[in-house]
Amino acid sequence: MRKIILPGEKIADRKVIMEKTFVEGDSTFASVMGMINDEGRFIPLEGVYRPQPGDTVVGLVIGSRHAGFEVDLNLPSTGFISARDTRIRLNVGEMLMARIREASEGGDIDLTEVRRLPKGNIIAFPSAKVPRLIGKKSSMINMIKEQTNSDILVGNNGYVWMGENTDVPRVMNILERITQRAHLSGLTDDIAKALSS
Amino acid sequence: MEEQKLIVDGKRLDGRTPDQLRPIRIESGVLNSADGSAFIEWGGNKILCGVYGPRECIPRHEANPYRALVKCRYSMSPFASLEEHGRSGPSRRSTELSKIISEVFEKVIIAEEFPGTQIDIFIDVLQAEGGSRVASVTAATVALADAGIPMKDMVAGVAVGKAANVVVSDLGKEEDNLGQSDMPIAMAQRTKDILLLQMDGLLTKEEIEKALEMAEKGVNEVNALQIEALVKNYETALTEAKLKL
Repeated sequence: MRKIILPGEKIADRKVIMEKTFVEGDSTFASVMGMINDEGRFIPLEGVYRPQPGDTVVGLVIGSRHAGFEVDLNLPSTGFISARDTRIRLNVGEMLMARIREASEGGDIDLTEVRRLPKGNIIAFPSAKVPRLIGKKSSMINMIKEQTNSDILVGNNGYVWMGENTDVPRVMNILERITQRAHLSGLTDDIAKALSS
Repeated sequence: MEEQKLIVDGKRLDGRTPDQLRPIRIESGVLNSADGSAFIEWGGNKILCGVYGPRECIPRHEANPYRALVKCRYSMSPFASLEEHGRSGPSRRSTELSKIISEVFEKVIIAEEFPGTQIDIFIDVLQAEGGSRVASVTAATVALADAGIPMKDMVAGVAVGKAANVVVSDLGKEEDNLGQSDMPIAMAQRTKDILLLQMDGLLTKEEIEKALEMAEKGVNEVNALQIEALVKNYETALTEAKLKL
């Protein structure tokens, strides 16, 4: 296993701009726990999701107003879908997938390309580990979907939607396993084994 | 108890040398529903810490549009200790400690990343035996790292002071109550900035210099345990994975 980096640990003797790091003087330091990969990039293991334009998110409609809809995204602030922007009429309690058009510093998150999701469940997954859950070219998530024969959608915000026909306990077990082992290599093989057993 | 008996033949009441710490055990990620958590046993102290956030700031008018607020709530259980410390609910003492601990973490958390939000640190002292504020700071740092809240530094604390005319590190309950001076210190690990320093009783300039030296040594030991606690969770997963393969 690679060495685990801790908050405040130096990761480079020069100024590098990377996610979850900060520069002080001429050096770069980690701000959360993480690891360094082969290319020398810092891979955060923990962390709070910060919305970026272009990210795909899964959300839950929690408010409907004349101007649009409010969406819970597992973030301090809610997402907003302008009624001008979409023809879909959403109801409170409905689930959706959308793209972030704009995320202001003040916390306003504008959503676009809204897709209503059928009935199902939403659970929260650690957002720092979402790349591992999706895998290279979606290999991991596709494997889980095939093996468990279910509909699963993952948002960058960490919300995971599961369709009605999903074997929820089984998928939850797999997600828990990925959370615990996201920092290990050979994760896809490990999960493949867990799925076939 | 007479003051002089606090130290006999260079050994303290519990058999420690002046610069020796009590046994410390830290665990991270002990709570399921908190974003980050830690449990610390430091001598007779047992402290549980949970961290939430960043989340919506309540009340809203307190929100700072430039940075996240760091809110800390330190509280002692009714059974934490004898005497007045054991009163649960808000008290003069818990208000003071909540304030100083939140000020420690305001300095290290990169709060500018989350404007308009708040980060909550909840500290519950289940059992107290002197030095609970530094143990709380130590546990809260582990919980914050576990929650993935960006920090510029890790903070560890230790109390130093004077008992029976000897400068000692990590005062226990008797030394705290009957000793001559008690100085809790929290230090940032990388920069060695002092983020918390309080003092009861009196120390001379020379004694403070010696105490600070002792504190730095103690803080380094505590920090090593913090790191061990955080890394342990990842290593456990590794051993489990190896056993299965």
